Amino acid sequence: MSSVVVVGEVDGNEVKDVSQQVAAVAAGMGDVVGIVMGKNIAEAAMKLSTSKIIIAEDDTLENYDPVRFSSIVTQVVEQTNATRVLMGATTMGKDLGPRLAAELNWGYLGDCLEAGDEGFVRPNYAGKVLAKSNPTNPVVVSIRNNAYPAGESWSGTVENFSGNIPDSNLTTASIEKIGAGTVELTEANIVVSGGRGLESPENYEEHIRPLANALGAAAGASRAIVDAGWVPHSHQVGQTGKTVTPDLYLAIGISGAIQHLGGMSGSKFIVAINKDAEAPIFKVADYGIIGDLFEIVPVLKSKLDN
Amino acid sequence: MNIVVLVKMVPDTESRLEIVDGKVNESGFKYMVNPYDEFAVEQAVQFKEASGGKVTLVSLFSNDTSIDTDLRKMMAIGADEAIVLRQDGYRGDRPSANAKTISDAISEMNADLVIGGVQGIDYYQGATGPMIAHMLGIPHVSGVTNLEMNGEKFTAKRQIEGGLQVIECSGPVLITCQKDMTKVRFPALKDIMMSKRKPFENREVSLNEGNDVNTDECSLPPARGGGVIIDGESAEEKVDKLIEKLKTEAKVL
Ligand SMILES: Cc1cc2nc3c(=O)[nH]c(=O)nc-3n(C[C@H](O)[C@H](O)[C@H](O)COP(=O)(O)OP(=O)(O)OC[C@H]3O[C@@H](n4cnc5c(N)ncnc54)[C@H](O)[C@@H]3O)c2cc1C
Repeated sequence: MSSVVVVGEVDGNEVKDVSQQVAAVAAGMGDVVGIVMGKNIAEAAMKLSTSKIIIAEDDTLENYDPVRFSSIVTQVVEQTNATRVLMGATTMGKDLGPRLAAELNWGYLGDCLEAGDEGFVRPNYAGKVLAKSNPTNPVVVSIRNNAYPAGESWSGTVENFSGNIPDSNLTTASIEKIGAGTVELTEANIVVSGGRGLESPENYEEHIRPLANALGAAAGASRAIVDAGWVPHSHQVGQTGKTVTPDLYLAIGISGAIQHLGGMSGSKFIVAINKDAEAPIFKVADYGIIGDLFEIVPVLKSKLDN
Repeated sequence: MNIVVLVKMVPDTESRLEIVDGKVNESGFKYMVNPYDEFAVEQAVQFKEASGGKVTLVSLFSNDTSIDTDLRKMMAIGADEAIVLRQDGYRGDRPSANAKTISDAISEMNADLVIGGVQGIDYYQGATGPMIAHMLGIPHVSGVTNLEMNGEKFTAKRQIEGGLQVIECSGPVLITCQKDMTKVRFPALKDIMMSKRKPFENREVSLNEGNDVNTDECSLPPARGGGVIIDGESAEEKVDKLIEKLKTEAKVL
């Protein structure tokens, strides 16, 4: 069997969900070797569900650096004779994947929705077209969060990375945390998004954020209200914003423009609350409520609080 | 400072997407400048205005000249010249081969900064930038929402889960821009007129072998059937029914 390298990521004391999902996909492809890079990560890294785990710990790896991380994974690939590298389509994965593919002289498939023996499926045109391929040559693949169930956390054999960590011109000066304590959009199981129907930024704060908090959800937005400056671009869902695939997506006062749908139509369940029965969002919603959001949302919030 | 801006021409977002024999019918496509690349042009021009230098646009495309007007608009923003690499049989979904072609062209330009959009709104791979950086042997920072230049040094803020990674580096470096990076100006009429006299080079390039994965088949995603409209006499009744469905049918609460 050929071998597959999984690039794992940790978050605090745990392996990221998406990394466990990727590990589960890789398990069906061959012998799997996990590589986790960072500083003080060994304990968390050991939870990656691959039969063998290589841990690269160093002060210089505290923050993601494309030059260093790509070189380390390249060395692991050479050492294991792997023909595939899989990783989560996180901000790191989407950055590392293509650089690594160039370094290895391999193909690259980014942000895949399906990955397995029957091939890979990735979105084109903001998900409006699905492109299927079945590469026979070696590839680096990043896989979207929530595309697959996570592998069980268990420990395989652990080894320390013994290769060389190159110098890099990049220095991470700091990490600026934004919205500490809130849930990250692309990793959320539930997303509550608001649009122009809210009428004002104050109403976003009054109706969307508290509802998101009540559900343990991330708060998202349409481009209309990002452009209006009500919320930062990091909230934007859609073709020129983030792509989200939660279990539940609530679109509140959002019309459902094609560019918005591109970022959320992969959600498992969609709920739309809109006063216009003709709004295109209802064409993709599993459950729709036609009505005034200012009447519906407060009731919803108070029922969920109980 | 010598700045190279990577500009991709992509199908208009309103383009009709129709599948014929497992392929997207591209015959009716009109092309426009990739929106993310516009932020890169604006940022490059702002750096030039602040501390001098030259801004060169580099675009790889087919022999179709209908894109020239749109590229000229980027020059009206303030870029000094454009080099269009004309390739017979060009495709936008070959990041590896395209990165090779583009890096070959810019390797001799001695850029201090290579800058482009974080991804093309056609194939969304976000791959060409980091691949070019590797081929040029320079570092890259992707998905940058704020870029500052102090003398030789750059400070880039990169969007990550839950915040921003603040990265410092010296040039040469390749940066890809996220949407919030700059506000793209509307050029004045006189700049539009002037842009018509700026150097615009068409350079023939041949097809490169890359490591790209060929797409076997394209399809439209299964249409999401519109679901049910929840009715009720009052907001309360509607909400009760919704919560019930989310708990028992969808099992997401
Ligand atoms: C190149 C390009 C890229 C784009 N990228 C994106 C993107 O990434 N993401 C994105 O979202 N958009 C994007 N857009 C913009 C998109 O076309 C729409 O303009 C935008 O999504 C509309 O936002 P909205 O639904 O909030 O506003 P509107 O379309 O104005 O809809 C507001 C909705 O609120 C409803 N409403 C009003 N009052 C109430 C009330 N009291 N109760 C209930 N409902 C109410 C209305 O019936 C209406 O349906 C892009 C456009 C272009 C051209």
